Amino acid sequence: MCVCPGPRRIGIPVRSSSLPLFSDAMPGPTQLFFPLIRNCELSRIYGTACYCHHKHLCCSSPYLPQSRLRYTSHPAYATFCRPKDNWWQYTQGRRYASTPQKFYLTPPQVNSILKANEYSFKVPEFDGKNVSSVLGFDSNQLPANAPIEDRRSAATCLQTRGMLLGVFDGHAGCACSQAVSERLFYYIAVSLLPHETLLEIENAVESGRALLPILQWHKHPNDYFSKEASKLYFNSLRTYWQELIDLNTGESTDIDVKEALINAFKRLDNDISLEAQVGDPNSFLNYLVLRVAFSGATACVAHVDGVDLHVANTGDSRAMLGVQEEDGSWSAVTLSNDHNAQNERELERLKLEHPKNEAKSVVKQDRLLGLLMPFRAFGDVKFKWSIDLQKRVIESGPDQLNDNEYTKFIPPNYYTPPYLTAEPEVTYHRLRPQDKFLVLATDGLWETMHRQDVVRIVGEYLTGMHHQQPIAVGGYKVTLGQMHGLLTERRAKMSSVFEDQNAATHLIRHAVGNNEFGAVDHERLSKMLSLPEELARMYRDDITIIVVQFNSHVVGAYQNQE
Amino acid sequence: MPVFCQLCWSAIVDTDGRIYIRNWQGGILSGGFEKNPKPIFTEGKNQLEIQNLQEDWDHFEPLLSSLLRRMPQLETLEIMKLVNCPETFTPDMRCIMGESPSVQGYFVLAGMNSAGLSFGGGAGKYLAEWMMHGYPSENVWELDLKRFGALQSSRTFLRHRVMEVMPLLYDLKVPRWDFQTGRQLRTSPLYDRLDAQGARWMEKHGFERPKYFVPPDKDLLALEQSKTFYKPDWFDIVESEVKCCKEAVCVIDMSSFTKFEITSTGDQALEILQYLFSNDLDVPVGHIVHTGMLNEGGGYENDCSIARLSKRSFFMISPTDQQVHCWAWLKKHMPQDSNLLLEDVTWKYTALNLIGPRAVDVLSELSYAPMTPDHFPSLFCKEMSVGYANGIRVMSMTHTGEPGFMLYIPIEYALHVYNEVMSVGQKYGIRNAGYYALRSLRIEKFFAFWGQDLNTLTTPLECGRESWVKLEKGMDFIGRDALLQQKQNGVYKRFTMFILDDHDTDLDLWPWWGEPIYRNGQYVGKTTSSAYSYTLERHVCLGFVHNFSEDTGEEQVVTTDFINRGEYEIDIAGHRFQAKAKLYPVASLVTHKRRKDDVELSDLHGK
Repeated sequence: MCVCPGPRRIGIPVRSSSLPLFSDAMPGPTQLFFPLIRNCELSRIYGTACYCHHKHLCCSSPYLPQSRLRYTSHPAYATFCRPKDNWWQYTQGRRYASTPQKFYLTPPQVNSILKANEYSFKVPEFDGKNVSSVLGFDSNQLPANAPIEDRRSAATCLQTRGMLLGVFDGHAGCACSQAVSERLFYYIAVSLLPHETLLEIENAVESGRALLPILQWHKHPNDYFSKEASKLYFNSLRTYWQELIDLNTGESTDIDVKEALINAFKRLDNDISLEAQVGDPNSFLNYLVLRVAFSGATACVAHVDGVDLHVANTGDSRAMLGVQEEDGSWSAVTLSNDHNAQNERELERLKLEHPKNEAKSVVKQDRLLGLLMPFRAFGDVKFKWSIDLQKRVIESGPDQLNDNEYTKFIPPNYYTPPYLTAEPEVTYHRLRPQDKFLVLATDGLWETMHRQDVVRIVGEYLTGMHHQQPIAVGGYKVTLGQMHGLLTERRAKMSSVFEDQNAATHLIRHAVGNNEFGAVDHERLSKMLSLPEELARMYRDDITIIVVQFNSHVVGAYQNQE
Repeated sequence: MPVFCQLCWSAIVDTDGRIYIRNWQGGILSGGFEKNPKPIFTEGKNQLEIQNLQEDWDHFEPLLSSLLRRMPQLETLEIMKLVNCPETFTPDMRCIMGESPSVQGYFVLAGMNSAGLSFGGGAGKYLAEWMMHGYPSENVWELDLKRFGALQSSRTFLRHRVMEVMPLLYDLKVPRWDFQTGRQLRTSPLYDRLDAQGARWMEKHGFERPKYFVPPDKDLLALEQSKTFYKPDWFDIVESEVKCCKEAVCVIDMSSFTKFEITSTGDQALEILQYLFSNDLDVPVGHIVHTGMLNEGGGYENDCSIARLSKRSFFMISPTDQQVHCWAWLKKHMPQDSNLLLEDVTWKYTALNLIGPRAVDVLSELSYAPMTPDHFPSLFCKEMSVGYANGIRVMSMTHTGEPGFMLYIPIEYALHVYNEVMSVGQKYGIRNAGYYALRSLRIEKFFAFWGQDLNTLTTPLECGRESWVKLEKGMDFIGRDALLQQKQNGVYKRFTMFILDDHDTDLDLWPWWGEPIYRNGQYVGKTTSSAYSYTLERHVCLGFVHNFSEDTGEEQVVTTDFINRGEYEIDIAGHRFQAKAKLYPVASLVTHKRRKDDVELSDLHGK
C-alpha cells in the first residue's frame, strides 16, 4: 500500500547541511531536488513530505474499516425503529457521520482531473470504409511535476503515407520536451519525403508560393506550439532539407524508414545544440534555445504505415504491442528497449565508447556519470559539449543562465564527451491481425504497472463489451433473485470500463488508483490526485500515454494480398 | 412463473422504478420502459419476424432490480421467459392517424407508443368516422399524421428522438417541456446571432424559435431542476421583455411561420381564396385580412393572415405546424389549373416582429419613409427598403394586438436588416424578445391561436370573430351554410377570457392549459391556453364555456347573457380560484398610455 516517492530522473548533489537528514528520512535516492529549491525551502518540503508520507502509511489501513464502521452503524431502516424521542440523538449521530473529517475528491471531481487532458482521434472513414491500418488513438497525460514535463504528439504525414505518434519525457524542465514535441515529426516527415517533393517545397519557399502541407496534427487544446520560435525552427528545418536536396545523387532510391528516423533524431538534436551555440539576437529566443539545450528529453516515436510499424526510441519510454491470442487472452510484446542502467547492452555500449579508465565512473548508482537516469536523450548539452564550450556559452549567455546552479554545474568525471546521444534504436514490426493496439507511454506508467497488466487492462477495455457473452435462460431453472445477483455482478464489472471513454484515461485510472488486488480503489485514487503540487512528484511521475488501435480487417487484407 | 397470486388486479405501475406488474395466466408479467432504449428499424420486415429478439438480460437488469425492490418476495420465483420485442414510438409520444397528405384515401393509424391496447378502441372509432364522414367527431389534430412532414422522417432524427421519447413514458411530464434531441434542424439565419445573445430555444415543426433571452448576468436553473408546475425560473426575464414591448420596442424572430404565395394569371387566385376563406379577400392591394380557412362544419382548418400583394397574388401566413396540413388542404381544393400557382415560400423569408410603440421610429429611421398610422395604417402591407435591403415586406401587425410591424425579409438580407434594426433601435431601447413574451401579450389581449385555442371544431362565431366572417361577400365559401345556421340558432360554446382573482403567482400552482372551468359550481368546459399578464398582474386563462342542461346534460345555446351572469372558478390541481369572465379584451390594455407621473429614472436606462 505504501507509495514510495519516485526517484527524480536527474539529480545534482547540493552542499547543504540538511541533506543527510533528508536522505535518511526518505526511502528514495538522495538526489531528490533541483537547484530551484533553495535551502530554506528544503526543510519545509522535507517536513511536509515526511509528515504526509507517514500519515499515508498509517491512515490507509486503519482508516478504511473506520469509515466502513460509520456507515454500517446507521442503516436506512433505523429511522423506522427508533422511537420519536430519540430523534434528536439520531440527528446528532447523523451529523457526526456526515461531517467529513478529511478532504476527499468526489468521483466526478476525480473524473474531471483524469479527463482534463484526454484526447481521442478517429481516422475518418470515407464511403463507410476505413482504409488506414490505424483505427484511431486515445491519449492522455496526468501531471506530477508543475508544470508537467511530459509531452505528446500525433500527426498524419500528408505527403507520404503513415501516421506518427510519440511521447516525450522531459527532465530539468519542459523546454526540451516541448521543442522536440513540436519539431521532431517535421524532421521525420522531411526525411521521408522523396527528392521531387523536397524540391517542390524548396521552390515554393524560394518563390513565395503556398507550401505543401507536410503534417496534419492531432492535438489536444492544451498541446501548444511556440509561436515565437516558429521562424527559427523553420529556418533550421529548411537548412536540413536543403542539405538533403544537395546530397541527392540523382538516382532515386527507396527511402528507408529506419534510416529516416535515425537521421531525423540525430539532426534535430544537432540543431538544438547548434542553435544554443549560435544564440539569437532576440533575448527571449536566446534564452529559450539555451533552456532547450540545457534541459533534456527522451522520445519514443511510432511510425505506422499499412502493416509496417517502426518504433524509434531514445531513452526510457516504452512502446508495447497488445496481442490477442486465439483464446482471447492478452500478451504484451515489447517493441523498444529502455536505455538505462537496467539494459546490459547500453552499459556495454557506454563502456566501449569511452576509455577503459572511465569504466567505473561513466555509470554510477545506475545513472550516467552518477546523475542521469536515461542513457540516451535529446538536449542535455551538459553531457555532450566539451567543458570549454559549456563555460563559454554560459558566460556569454543571459544572467538567468548564470544564476542557475544546475547549468553551471559540470558533471564529475567528465573527460571524454559526448557521453550522451539522441540516436534512437529503431525496431521494426510487421503488423498481424492479432496485433490489436500499441501503447506508447513514458516511464511514469511503466514504473507503476507491469507491462502485462497494461496490455490486459487496455485489451479488456477495448473489447469490453464483446467479451461478456449475453445471458440466456434457456431451459435452466433460474430464480429472479439468482438472475439479479448475476446481473449486478456483471454490471459492476462493466461500470469501471464505461466510466472512461478513453483507453489512456482508463489506464491512468488504474496506474494511479490500483490497490493490491489490481482493482481501482476510489479512496486511493482520490488521495493520489489531491496531493498538493509540490508533493505529487514524490509519489508518482508525469504519466503520458498514447493507445493506438489497429484495424484488424485492413491489416488482414494486407496479409491476404501477399 | 408458478401460480402464486389469484388476485385479479389489473396492473401495478411503479413510475419511479419504470416498471409495470400485472397478472398473467396466474403468474406475473412485469416489464418496463428503461432509460436507455435501443432503437431499431424494422427495415420493412414482417412484424412477426422481429417479434422475438434475442433476450438481453443485461439491458433488463435495472428493471429487474426495481421489480425486486418493489416486491422482494419475488426473488424465489423461477423465470419463465424474457420477451424482448420492439414497440413503435413517434417523435412526440403521440400516435399518428389520419389521411395521408400525398395519397388521397390512404389512411394511417400507427405508432401507438406502447399504448395500443388502451388507446386502440378510441383511435379506431375516430379513424372509422374519419374514413366514413371525412372528419372525426372530436378534435384529433394532436394525433393527425399531418402534424409531421418529411423533415421528421430522417433516420438519424428518429433514432435520437425515439430514444428520448420512450423513457418519458414513465417520467413526469411538465408544461412547456422541450425535447432535447433532434434539434437545430431548421433555423433562421439569425440563429447564431440570437444564440450568442442568450436565446433559449424551443422547437416547433423542426424550427428553432427563441423562448426568451437570458441576460448575461442571470443564471437559470439546470434543465432537470427547471421542471415545475409552479412559477418558472424565466418569469422575471419574460417580464422585462414584455415591459420592453409595452414601453419601447422588441424584436422577435418569427421565421418559423408557414408562408405560402398564391398567384394566377387572371382572377383564379382571388376566386379560389374567396371560396376557401370566410373573410372577404377582394380588398384593395396592400391590405391584410385576418381570416379562417373553414371546413364544411364552419370549424377552423387554419387561421391565417393574408396580404394582397397585387391584384393577382396573395401572401398567406399561417401557424408553423400548418405547413403540411394547410398545403394538403389547399391542394385538395384547388382546381388543376396551370395558371394558378401555389408556392411554399416559408424558407425564402426571415420574419422579424418589431413590437412596441417605438417600432415606428426605428422603421422610419431605417426606411426614410413616414411610418405613422396616417401613412401606414394598421393591417397594411408594403414592399419597401430597410437599411440597404430592398424589397422587404413590411406589415403593420404584430400578432399580439400591440403596435408594431412584421418584416418579411428575403433571407440573404436577414442579417443586414437585423443588424440595422438593432443598431438604430439602440437609442429607442430595443432588445430581443422571445415567444413567451409574445404569448403573454397575445393572451392578455384575448387573441386566439390555432392549434391551441382553435381547432377544426370551433367556428369563428364561437370565438367572437363575426367581423372576420363575411357571409354576404357575394359568393359561397366552405362552411358558409354551417355558419348561417349557427348565426340563426346561436352558438353552443363561447370562447371566453378569465382573469384569475385570488391566485398567488408566487405560491400557487400555475394554470397551464386544460384546467376545468366552473360556472356557479357547474363544470362548463376547459381552458385552452393561459399566461401571466404582466400588465394586469394577474393570470389570464382562455377557454370555451358550454351550457350543459342541468337535467339531461345536453348542450344548450350559450348567450352573452349566460356568460356575463355567472360566477366563475378555474380549478387548478384541485384548488378552485375565482375568475372574472370577459368576452372582450380589457379596455385599458388596448388604449394603454403611460401617465406623466409614472415616468421614473429607470426609464432612461436601456432595456
